[in-house]
Amino acid sequence: MKQDTERKITIEDLIRLKKSERPPAEFWSRFESEIRSKQLSAIVNKRPWWHGISRAVMVFNRHQLPFGAAAALALTWMGVHYMGAPSIRVSTPGAAPAAVPHTPAVASSVPAPSAPAIAREERPQAPEEQGAKAASHAEAAVMAASASHLTKAPADIALDAAPKSPFSDGIAVTLADYRQATPDFARRSVFGTDSEFEPTAAAARQSPSEPLARMDPAEERRSRLLAPALPAYSSAATRALASDWMRARSSSDARMYESMDRGSNDRMLVGFRF
Amino acid sequence: MNASKTLEKTLVASPERKLEADADLEIVRKVQGGDVAAFDRLILKYRERVLGIIYNMTSNREDAADLAQDAFIKAFQSINRFQGQASFFTWLYRIAVNSTVTHLRKNRMRSFFSLESVREDDPVSRELIDALTDKTGAGRDSFVRELQEKLNDAMQKLSINHRTVVTLFEIDGLSHQEIAEVMNCSVGTVRSRLHYAKQLLQAELQPYLLK
Repeated sequence: MKQDTERKITIEDLIRLKKSERPPAEFWSRFESEIRSKQLSAIVNKRPWWHGISRAVMVFNRHQLPFGAAAALALTWMGVHYMGAPSIRVSTPGAAPAAVPHTPAVASSVPAPSAPAIAREERPQAPEEQGAKAASHAEAAVMAASASHLTKAPADIALDAAPKSPFSDGIAVTLADYRQATPDFARRSVFGTDSEFEPTAAAARQSPSEPLARMDPAEERRSRLLAPALPAYSSAATRALASDWMRARSSSDARMYESMDRGSNDRMLVGFRF
Repeated sequence: MNASKTLEKTLVASPERKLEADADLEIVRKVQGGDVAAFDRLILKYRERVLGIIYNMTSNREDAADLAQDAFIKAFQSINRFQGQASFFTWLYRIAVNSTVTHLRKNRMRSFFSLESVREDDPVSRELIDALTDKTGAGRDSFVRELQEKLNDAMQKLSINHRTVVTLFEIDGLSHQEIAEVMNCSVGTVRSRLHYAKQLLQAELQPYLLK
């Protein structure tokens, strides 16, 4: 390698030397023929289908913002169109809101339990004679409350809503007409009328005594069961005595269960008020 | 014309480039109009430059020939999408560089050198070779061959992006702005890559940098 030249050799000079690396002339003739055949095949052959996809992706990437905005608009429109628009009512100054806001008025119109009912509720236990009377008082209080709820509340609603909305006006008029047409509507309750309720309560009071009556064993069966253990049961006198004793016992049991049942009926009535 | 305004922005190079770009656009419009034979003029005009870029990036003449042909075919197939927003040669270079980069990344583990011979009919290269050696005949040829291999070896030690920047700037003579357009990066990135690549090449070719 010669080192004694006066010219300074730089890296740019060395790189530029690569410019001199050129193919021979015959290379270009081959190059031209090959590119001609490739060009013809490119004209004849269709481009594969995925080139269209890649082109679409490129276009989408170039215009992401408009496509995104258009998609959001389309989704919003579809949501509104197919799911249904939210029911927003524009309220005019003179018009009152619909009947829904009157629910608190209905709730507030329900009267508080009356004093006898509270007294009955706070009393822990009562004698048997007073139990039925107290129960009837409680039933009456409950019935009065429910009847006043059903008779007074719609009237209150109608009076409150009358100046507010034509729709509530219509409801109030309809309810008033219905009350005039059917006067016994006021005495009806959601639990039924008084006359419907009384047999139900009576049946509830009576029914628990029947299983006890059914549980009373027959005399023959009793003697058959007790004969191996108590030989006295085999005689007729002792058998009669035993049957008397059992009868008295069963009647006292029946009274006891009946009193317990009244207590349970009282509790059921207290539960009804709530 | 819209294309001319864009060219003023992208081409920082000489006014000859602008005239060249306008002439290319005219030919492209013909091809887009259905004159397929007009594309041959573009091939004839740019084939050496495109091949030179690809060859200096791959250091393999067979791969360079195939990739150059593919670049022209891709440009031909996509000629209808060319709207004149950049100059045709920038667009063609971008296709060629992208194809080459994809090829190099795909065949990262396979690299064979297949070098062209250095032609000394160029006075600049002859003067350079004379400056580097006083040998004649076989000794000179072997020295040139050794230098050529060292140059290609040093180029291949660069990363693909650094190699591309060096090729486009030092060998093909594109401006920083044009290289940024071709490589789809900023001018600062081009300058940074060029500076770093030259440092690496200087370290590799230190024995040949003589006074």
